[in-house]
Amino acid sequence: MDFICKIAGQAGAGVMVTGRMMAKCFTRGGYNVVGYPEYPSLVRGGHNVVEVAVSDKDLRSPRQRCHAVIALNKDAVFYHKDTVEKEGIIIYDSALDISEFKIPKGVRTIPVPLMELIEKANGNVKMKNTVALATALALVNYPFEMLAGVIGDEFGRKGAEIVEKNIAAAKEGYEYIISQSGEFPHRLKPISEKRKILIAGNEAVALGAVKGGMKFYSAYPMTPASSILHYLFAHERKFNILVKQTEDEIAAMNYTVGASFAGLRSMTGTSGGGFALMVEALGMAALAEAPIVAALVQRVGPSTGMPTWTEQADLRFALHASQGDFLRVILAPGDVEESFQLGAESFNWAEKYQLPVIIISDKFLGETFFSCERFDESKVKIERGKIVDKLPKLEPNTRYKRYALSKDGVSPRVFPGTPNGMHVGTSYEHDESGFSSESFIMRTKQVDKRAAKIKGLLKELPAPKIYGPKSADVTIMCWGSHKLPALDALAMLEEKGIKANAMHFCYLYPLDKDKISKLVGSCNKTVMIENNSTGQFTGMLKEYCDVKPDFLILKYDGRQFFAEQITEQIEKLAKAKFKGDAEIRICEKEDLEYYNPQRHGL
Amino acid sequence: MDSKDFDVKEKIQWCPGCGNFGLIAALKGAMADLELKQHETVVVSGIGCSSKLPHYVDTYGFESIHGRGLPVASAIKLSNHNLDVVSVGGDGDGYGIGVQHFIHIMRRNYNLTYIVHNNQIYGLTTGQASPTTMLGAKTKTTPWGVVEEPFKPLTVAINGGATFVARGYVGDPVHLKELFKQAIEHKGFAFVDVFQPCVTFNKINTYPWFQKRVYKLENNDVTDKWAALKNAAEDEETNFEKVPIGVFYKVEKPTYESTLPQIKDKPMVEQDIENVDISEAYNELE
Repeated sequence: MDFICKIAGQAGAGVMVTGRMMAKCFTRGGYNVVGYPEYPSLVRGGHNVVEVAVSDKDLRSPRQRCHAVIALNKDAVFYHKDTVEKEGIIIYDSALDISEFKIPKGVRTIPVPLMELIEKANGNVKMKNTVALATALALVNYPFEMLAGVIGDEFGRKGAEIVEKNIAAAKEGYEYIISQSGEFPHRLKPISEKRKILIAGNEAVALGAVKGGMKFYSAYPMTPASSILHYLFAHERKFNILVKQTEDEIAAMNYTVGASFAGLRSMTGTSGGGFALMVEALGMAALAEAPIVAALVQRVGPSTGMPTWTEQADLRFALHASQGDFLRVILAPGDVEESFQLGAESFNWAEKYQLPVIIISDKFLGETFFSCERFDESKVKIERGKIVDKLPKLEPNTRYKRYALSKDGVSPRVFPGTPNGMHVGTSYEHDESGFSSESFIMRTKQVDKRAAKIKGLLKELPAPKIYGPKSADVTIMCWGSHKLPALDALAMLEEKGIKANAMHFCYLYPLDKDKISKLVGSCNKTVMIENNSTGQFTGMLKEYCDVKPDFLILKYDGRQFFAEQITEQIEKLAKAKFKGDAEIRICEKEDLEYYNPQRHGL
Repeated sequence: MDSKDFDVKEKIQWCPGCGNFGLIAALKGAMADLELKQHETVVVSGIGCSSKLPHYVDTYGFESIHGRGLPVASAIKLSNHNLDVVSVGGDGDGYGIGVQHFIHIMRRNYNLTYIVHNNQIYGLTTGQASPTTMLGAKTKTTPWGVVEEPFKPLTVAINGGATFVARGYVGDPVHLKELFKQAIEHKGFAFVDVFQPCVTFNKINTYPWFQKRVYKLENNDVTDKWAALKNAAEDEETNFEKVPIGVFYKVEKPTYESTLPQIKDKPMVEQDIENVDISEAYNELE
């Protein structure tokens, strides 16, 4: 049984919090839940929506269409009425006049006198969202106690009176709908008592980093990466970590490098524009061989772009950021479990190979919240690589050879405070002890030393994973967040009689030519999906692995691919017997932007 | 302990007569007098002539990128507050490209020392105007004379929240060493602006120029902000007839590190990272 419900209203009206509460109610009942927020870059005035998708079967990504809309304002009816399935329901505040809108056939509207119900419960206008949330749960006959519990947790810190009043108001909304909703095909009961968690990609990366021993995080606020910073600040004392909001991203990356030099597992996080400011110090981390981790949560670019929308167009930027030749590792989690694991694991790659690691994700994965099991912490291993803490006495006035040439390219680090380890960590090309050097021979040797690390990395980095049947007529190739709609599309394609599987890349750089070309070569038809306009990863595969997917589907309108869109495109290709243009560009069909409701006459 | 303990084998590569020599001698002397442990001291810099300094002091060091010594130094101090951290740089590095870090570090009062080699010119890039080049001075980038108001590091620092503000002059090395000692010993952000003539590119602010103008502040009330500001503005107000050096301002305030319960018992670098317990996090996520 699926239930897809949108809760929508004006920016600043608390839609995000209410959406998350709804998702929590169903998560606690054992369902698979996705809570997908969409909002413009406005604190007040634009339109906000959270889609809560609930299923007792596999469900990993949001859907284009829904079964119910809870409209907190008039705009919400306008924006979402045409996405409601037949027999679906739009619940709206009866104080609103929605007569000007043409409601699709078969969709019912239920006006709810929100303020009246609140007054009955002696509540106040702030409780509108709680009552609206209750109506959604009543619609599917979900037990009221589940909501009461979530209200208690959400408002608990505001005191018992607030909790009780919210529960009373919610009860009014709940009963009202029970008496009004009539036949609604979606009825949900809790299906399991096993506790699951509800977490967004950004928080999962943050929690993984903490589990992985991160002790220092410095960043400057930037959508959609800020929730990493918020989460870590909220928990800095509980987890005993240092979190610093710096004056800008330049400082943030430099702090990260400083903390690394001092001996901590350190990390920063930002989106494309902030990463642009970090680029110079990223190169410093590489030259100084200071292990650092940077979370790059992509949004639509270039420049300010569309700050609250999603894209996968910063991959080439991450790959080439900063001047000079140097090695880095790029990781791209595909879901919240991988966000957690890579959040932890990233420090092992950084420290073992003494280089920068970039975790590339996006607004879609970073800010969407998903139900899941508690993370598998048994997989988290701390591997710090070569570090020395005891050293023989040096001759007076000589330095420790921090950058000693070595076959694997890795020379032991030593941290300030360690006797006999004095040396200079440096952004300047240097000799083995870190002293600035412009010797042609030493320069060549140091470049080769740093580059030699790629051998170990290629041996260790896992290959892309295949999901679905081992062999299939068509393989959907994807990276990062697009594992989610791609895997959902597999089930949809199966229903249509198309045998498909998916190849997902978590480890984007360096790429192992032998492993990957063999894997891609073993597939029948291959279709890459990328959420950008140039096929950045497709280009990387060509360059580093000499493979080329048969088809490339691109989307770059600000939204990720929906599973339905992938299914539709693959179905079309299958019908055409996989003949036709190798490059396909798609875009959303409707064009109802949230930033300027007035453009739609609202 | 002897200042020679802080020497390195490599030859120092500054122009003969460069003010940096006096500065580094005073710094090593101060470190020796204070008996700083070499392995528990970190000297951090940006990029520039003066920023080569970490290579010439036998402690831990970090030579970062242009203008970024302070954020690197800040993080080193936060990560291991048992270390003595000294950040050095030039006037272009600190007052030009990296000025935002200077402004913001003062608001934080980390317990570290910041020394600016202020030679009022860009040296390593061969003689362009810096933020402290005097009005009217002709340089490669100001062929008709500087028209931009020079940056005023001392008044900015006194107003900006620095808890120790001083100025030295390399022509008085004994006085300079004492300033450095006070700065390193100060609990909080200690800032020392040091006049050190660039003998190659600055033909105005030369040793004789300073010799005529510099005088030592005495008996000034260093806790009086108004007096400090007045002293700091004296050079300009007297059309550089009188250029005071010494401690202008010094107050006690809690350091940033002292506000962090996470590092109250031991520095962050000494804390265990194996088996981090995150079970509490699940409660609020369920």
